[in-house]
Formats: sequence, C-alpha cells, structure tokens
Amino acid sequence: MVHAQTLADPVLQVEHRTRYSEAHNTMQTPTFEQLALPLLPSLYSHAFWLSRNHAEAEDLVQETISKSLRAFDSFQSGTNFKAWIFRILRNTFLTSRTGIAASRTVFLEDHLDLLETSDDSPTPEDHLIRLDNQAAVNEALDQLQPPLREVLLLCDVEEMKYKDIALVLDVPIGTVMSRLARARRALLQLLQTQLRKTL
Amino acid sequence: MTQTIQDTDHLQPNDLSAFIDGELSAADARDVQQHLETCHRCALRVVTMTQLKAATARAGERFAPSPDALARLAAQLRPQAPKQSQQTARVIPLRPSFRPIAAWAALAAAILLAISLIGWREVRRSNALAAELLDQHLATLSSGSTPQVISTDRHTVKPWFQGRLPFSFNLPEPDALPPDTTLRGANLVYLEGQPAALLIFSIHRHEASVFLTPRTSSFTISSQSTRSGFTVRSTTAAELRLMAVSDVNPTELNALVTALAKVQ
Repeated sequence: MVHAQTLADPVLQVEHRTRYSEAHNTMQTPTFEQLALPLLPSLYSHAFWLSRNHAEAEDLVQETISKSLRAFDSFQSGTNFKAWIFRILRNTFLTSRTGIAASRTVFLEDHLDLLETSDDSPTPEDHLIRLDNQAAVNEALDQLQPPLREVLLLCDVEEMKYKDIALVLDVPIGTVMSRLARARRALLQLLQTQLRKTL
Repeated sequence: MTQTIQDTDHLQPNDLSAFIDGELSAADARDVQQHLETCHRCALRVVTMTQLKAATARAGERFAPSPDALARLAAQLRPQAPKQSQQTARVIPLRPSFRPIAAWAALAAAILLAISLIGWREVRRSNALAAELLDQHLATLSSGSTPQVISTDRHTVKPWFQGRLPFSFNLPEPDALPPDTTLRGANLVYLEGQPAALLIFSIHRHEASVFLTPRTSSFTISSQSTRSGFTVRSTTAAELRLMAVSDVNPTELNALVTALAKVQ
C-alpha cells in the first residue's frame, strides 16, 4: 500500500527511476582495463620475483596482458579477477625460456615434496631472531626456494585468500596451507642461519 | 581441524599459519584464541609469525616498476587505442601538428596515470605502516617482553638513544605530561627498515606506544585512523615525525602527542 502511494507521486517516481538506473549502472560488468589497471604494479612486482630481471618482468606482464585480453570472454565476472590474471602470469612465466630452465631445476613440483624442512613451527630460539632487521629478512626471502617464496608472496604481499592461491598455483587448498607453513618455517631457519653467522 | 587444535597441547604449524592469515573458520579461530589465553609459548609463536608475515610483506614489495614501464604497460590495456590514433592521423593528414599534440596528450595521460598509481600505492603503504605500528605496539604489550630501557626518568631514556639513532629528540618534564600519564621505558625499533625510537607510556591503565622518526623519512600515514580498535595518530614537530598507537580514548592520546610535540 505504502509502496503504491510512493510510486503514485510523480516526484518520487522520478527519484525512484534515477535510483534504479544508478543501481543498474554500478551493476554493469567492469571493463578489462578497469580491472587490470590497479593490478599492474602487483603483476610487475610478482613477475620480477619469478624472473628476477626487470626487462623480463615487463615482457612477462606485456604477454600476460595480451593473453588475458584475448581470453577475457572466458573470465566469469563475479569470480576473482586477480587470481585469474595471476594464474595467466604464472603460466606465461612457466612457458618462458627462464621458466622452462627454472622448472628443470627448482620449480618442479615433485622436487618440492622432497625438500625436507622439519615440521615444528617457531622454537624458543626463533624469538631471538631480530625480525625488525629488514635487511636480514630481505636476504632470507631472496634465498628461499622459489616455490616456497611464490606461495608466501601470494599470501603476504598480494594478500590473496587461500582459495585464490589454490587457483593460481592449481593445487588443492590443503597444499597451499601446508606449503605456507613450510615456507615460513624455512624462512625462520634461514634467518637463524644468518644470525649464527653474525655471532 | 578442530580436532587437531583440541587434541594436542600446542598449535599445529598449519593452524598457526592459517590463524595469522585469518583463514580459520570462526569456531576454529575461537578455539585457537582460547588456547592462546593460557599458553604463553603459543602466544609468543603467534607474535613471531605475525612479525614475520609483516616483514615478508615489506621484503616482497621492493620491486616496483619504473614510471616508464608502468606507462607502457597501461598503454597496452586498451586494445583499440593504437588503431584509433592511426585512423585519426590518416583522416587529418593536412595537420601535421596533430601527431605531436596526440603524443603530448598521451604522455600527459601516462604521467597522470603514473601519479594516480603512485597515490594508490601510497595509500597501500600507509596501511602497511599502520599495521606495522600496531604490530610493534602489540609486541610491547605481550607478556614477557621488556623494554630495552626501563626507566621513568627522561634523563636516563634520552641519553640511552645517543649513538643508536641518527637523530635526537626531547622529552617533557614529568609534570608537563597529561594527568596520570607516565613514561615506562623505551625501545630501539625499525620501521620500514629505518631506525626509530619507541617510547612506551602508560595512560591510566592503558599502554601507549609513541614512535619518533626524522621528519624527512618517506613514511606516509594519515594523521588519525583506527585499526582493530586501536587509535593511530601521526603528527610532525620540528624535525621529527611522531606516530602514536594506543587503545586509550583518542582525546587522551592526542593530549600525549601534543605534549611531546610541544617540546621538540
């Protein structure tokens, strides 16, 4: 009843229509450019971590953009665009010359399960590590095995949820979880080794 | 997962990671929180892992694209763009000056874009810095952590920093501080890899952390914000930047920051 009255009022009708069309506009699917532009610094930074080379990082992002532009029709709006485009970036890297060379040595997933890091998380000695020493953490992250570093970057730097990381890496969520725990453990071990050297 | 948390005495590594990443279900997170209230060892592990996560985020953000590279990549986002400009150039062949204008316009657009992206990055950095301040503040609150200098005497605290910091600061007389506000001690800390003085105050029964850095440091942070229920306040005085974090009410935190700013 109230609703009918409201709509009978011509002024309110106009307002109603304006509001409706505003809502309609914001519901329009964002363009590729709108989605990708804010991610450029992240894509570049991640590409650099994968390839460890600035020129190559730019090439990788260029190629990622053209691939994802072509495949944009297959992107389902409402799903996570960042995970989708990071997955394309990762596959672009793995099929690049550096990526193929790397996968022969360190990026091979089978290798990863053989990498033994002990299972326990921080021990009392870990609290002696100066985590406020940023230079030490930078060095440790540089030394970390690439597959472990990759998952850590997606989680801590790109702030992706586990389910999105699982999508990027094409592994189950459980694997993301255990790999992250292992990556953090390995990072602490590297920091500990550094500490012992300086003492 | 609930089972592993309840069945064993301490947090499993996977659960610890998932907890600091905010990936546990509400029920599991509650179980972990309950355990942390009684287990000092696991609480310390959580603090360590949270600091490690923040440090990893900073270490991972080192490699930003140059403005040139960013502009080139942004230009690539519009597939039709190069085609359109070619067409326009062909349609108006009698105005050779058009091309330079278009080039300048494109350059201007690229510069504006780079600036806006830098702005966006700054916002993100400012959030990262606020998170770092809060982490440091929580670390000083955690039981078992003692300040490197424990003293209420400004004549002890200030000289302790000599030779440890590349700058100097002043501390007010105790009676120039707001009521029921006491200096507890100080720490030397690092913010985004740069040394800073951390002064620990108690206001009534609340703790407040005040960070002092040179004004020239490239920190970007909004003058007042709240984060997880804590107030973060930032101001500059003379050559210094003061940043304060506490759960005390914002007016009293402001009073402390003002008293400190006044003597610089």
